[in-house]
Amino acid sequence: MEKKLFINLGRCIACRACEVACEKEHGISFITVYEFRDIAVPLNCRHCEKAPCIEVCPTKAIYRDEDGAVVIDESKCIGCYMCSAVCPYAIPIVDPIKELAVKCDLCAERRKEGRDPLCAAVCPTDAIIYADLNELMEEKRRRKAERIVEAQRKAVETLAYFG
Amino acid sequence: MEEFKIGLCPYCGMGCRFYIKTLNGQPIGIEPYPGGVNEGKLCPKGVAAVDFLRHKDRLKKPLKRTENGFVEISWEQAIKEIAEKLLEIREKYGPDTLGFFSSARCSNEENYLLQKIARLLGTNNVDHCARLCHASTVVGLAQTVGAAAQSGSYTDIPKAKVLLIWGYNPSETHPVLMRYILRARDNGAKIIVVDPRKTRTVWFADMHLQLKPGTDIVLANAMMHVIIEERLYDREFIMNRTKGFEKLIAAVQKYTPEYAEEITGVPAKLIREAAITFATAGRGIVMWAMGLTQHVTGAANVKALADLALICGYVGREGTGLFPMRGQNNVQGACDMAALPNVFPGYQKVTDDEKRKHVAEIWGVEDLPSKPGLTIPEMIDAAAKGELKALYIMGENPVMSDPNTKHVIEALKNLELLVVQDIFLTETAELAHYVLPAAAYAEKEGSFTASERRVQWNFKAIEPPGEAKPDWEILTMLGKALGLPKFDYSDVEDITREITLVAPQYRGITPERLKREVMGVQWPCPSEDHPGTPRLHVERFATPDGKANIIPVEFKPPAEEPDEEYPFILTTFRIVGQYHTLTMSNRSESLKKRWSSPYAQISPEDAKKLGIQDGEMIRIVTRRGSYTCRAVVTEDVSEGVIAVPWHWGANILTNDVLDPEAKIPELKVAACRVEKIGGC
Repeated sequence: MEKKLFINLGRCIACRACEVACEKEHGISFITVYEFRDIAVPLNCRHCEKAPCIEVCPTKAIYRDEDGAVVIDESKCIGCYMCSAVCPYAIPIVDPIKELAVKCDLCAERRKEGRDPLCAAVCPTDAIIYADLNELMEEKRRRKAERIVEAQRKAVETLAYFG
Repeated sequence: MEEFKIGLCPYCGMGCRFYIKTLNGQPIGIEPYPGGVNEGKLCPKGVAAVDFLRHKDRLKKPLKRTENGFVEISWEQAIKEIAEKLLEIREKYGPDTLGFFSSARCSNEENYLLQKIARLLGTNNVDHCARLCHASTVVGLAQTVGAAAQSGSYTDIPKAKVLLIWGYNPSETHPVLMRYILRARDNGAKIIVVDPRKTRTVWFADMHLQLKPGTDIVLANAMMHVIIEERLYDREFIMNRTKGFEKLIAAVQKYTPEYAEEITGVPAKLIREAAITFATAGRGIVMWAMGLTQHVTGAANVKALADLALICGYVGREGTGLFPMRGQNNVQGACDMAALPNVFPGYQKVTDDEKRKHVAEIWGVEDLPSKPGLTIPEMIDAAAKGELKALYIMGENPVMSDPNTKHVIEALKNLELLVVQDIFLTETAELAHYVLPAAAYAEKEGSFTASERRVQWNFKAIEPPGEAKPDWEILTMLGKALGLPKFDYSDVEDITREITLVAPQYRGITPERLKREVMGVQWPCPSEDHPGTPRLHVERFATPDGKANIIPVEFKPPAEEPDEEYPFILTTFRIVGQYHTLTMSNRSESLKKRWSSPYAQISPEDAKKLGIQDGEMIRIVTRRGSYTCRAVVTEDVSEGVIAVPWHWGANILTNDVLDPEAKIPELKVAACRVEKIGGC
């Protein structure tokens, strides 16, 4: 299965290392961290399985590459921003220089060299992970199961103590 | 040609590694390096760590103050004139009229050289900014457990069952450490945060004890009161490994949770719950930083936390420990190298005749000064009074970092000679007679010691700009010009090797080994084949009899309390995207635009009373000065508390009163008033 960019909301510390990293890689940041009272949401292109932007693009500038990333072919983009209009997360923005739609491409250049997208590579708390989602969830379930075992053992011990 | 060179982050004390990406010898970016304590991860400052290196403001030539401002001079002239003036002042007024500020931003070798110069010139007046951050820790831990350092390693954190995070906000100050903290939480650890503000670390806590600034001892004593009352302490550990528990029992008796609630504002029930959670966890780590140490009772605060860990038996085992978290890339090393007025490298007291003779012998002199020197605040005061005539500052910016800015500026202006060696023309350098351009981290070699006592080699990636030179080279030139013995170092490794002879903890930490082992070595390391020490106090404490001292402490209120004229408590904090006095971080466009301007947190109740809207401009006034910034109305602070990030010059407000033991200023509590200016 291909890798996905997964956001673990319970781990974001709002440090914005992802934003700075993205900006270093692309000149502008395609990821934004929104901070609320006790939680933060890093938001970028979700590279949807059923991507409305791909559907709507009149020049077929938006396509899915071999890693499953939804990317914009700059040479075909006409800057109509229909992709922005239909995006459920309001992701595609205007490139200030080229005046064309731009968004996260999962660091296409880095992936070519076998490296992970930079936001995931630097995220200090693994709030952003680039991994196989099913494997990731399996690992998470296993950890939850371990916690259940621990609690169960404790309960048995406590019962034994009280006779 | 594009190259990747292994780098060591120049910001906090975590000790993160990264690759510095260079193109034809110029730094172009950072790339994750998977093999460090940070496992490739970085915070925003780390990601932006090459930004300031080629900034146009970098100092490139030595500067001399003249009637017409600064003029560029040659290195030869600068070093010759500075050496002559230092010797002249020493001749005229005596060696103790000279002072030296060393730097937690410089390598071990550079700190070692600066204190060596001071001592060979005949004075122990050498100190560095640990005075303003962990001086309390140095005193408090030396008296209780005998070693002023983080006792365990980061890898102990995920193994703990409870983390007591006190006056410390790792989400912003050590984001990469949060990786280890969240792993502990994944493993079922409870997280207790003690902080006057609801910080981003509190987001991940099971309990938040939101105390009134400066009441830490009452809270710690009340927790110990509960632990003793409920008999939850580790009896065996206390009997076998500590002394003084009986005195603690008596001392904390009056600190009931109900009494503590009145003073700290933390509900008694929550104090009880936190104490029980902490003591019954089985494995616990206590972590602290400036929120605990920067008080008039700083050293006592640290002792209280050490006591708390000791009575629960939380030292010297896996998943336990005392973790003072270091804020600069080499605070630990600068302390180890004795950029401190009372010790020689390796914490050997200047008053100890035998040790002093030993160091003197290695340095090729008869004897060294035996009278402890002045601390940073004492040197500033002495300069203001005209008793200190010359000050040599390497890589520090006291005009911004020290409390009571106006007083600091007056003191520095009063000096006959002020030399500042730095990478930028800082607010302090602007007042200097001579400014010497130094190389930044990526432009030189040397060793740095991270928070967990991990000594790592800093590899050179690029050349310094203009005529800037590594600090160790500048100090070597100065030492020679001063006519000091044995200053014939030809490369930095010569100094690293000398350190292994002088500092017992560093005996096996040779430059060859550090270059070979990128992960570095944790001191103490007594020989070259020793693997280093991930955990201290395993069998015995570093005290003369091997036992830890439980030292009860009494609460003393902060030096300034709110009154009619100044009705609020002012406290300071730091934010993730800026660093200390902004010298480096604010020269990154990526950081500057995200963390752009000063502000103050004020509670909705207080804002309403004063008619202040969120985002409006306000003026904060203390007995020492006034400061204008934007108001952020937030429930993250309690009524009566005003909190400001200190990076943008808020030290004009802070109190320079000192802890009598640690000589740390009370940066975390002052009385203030708030005036509405209006507008945005």
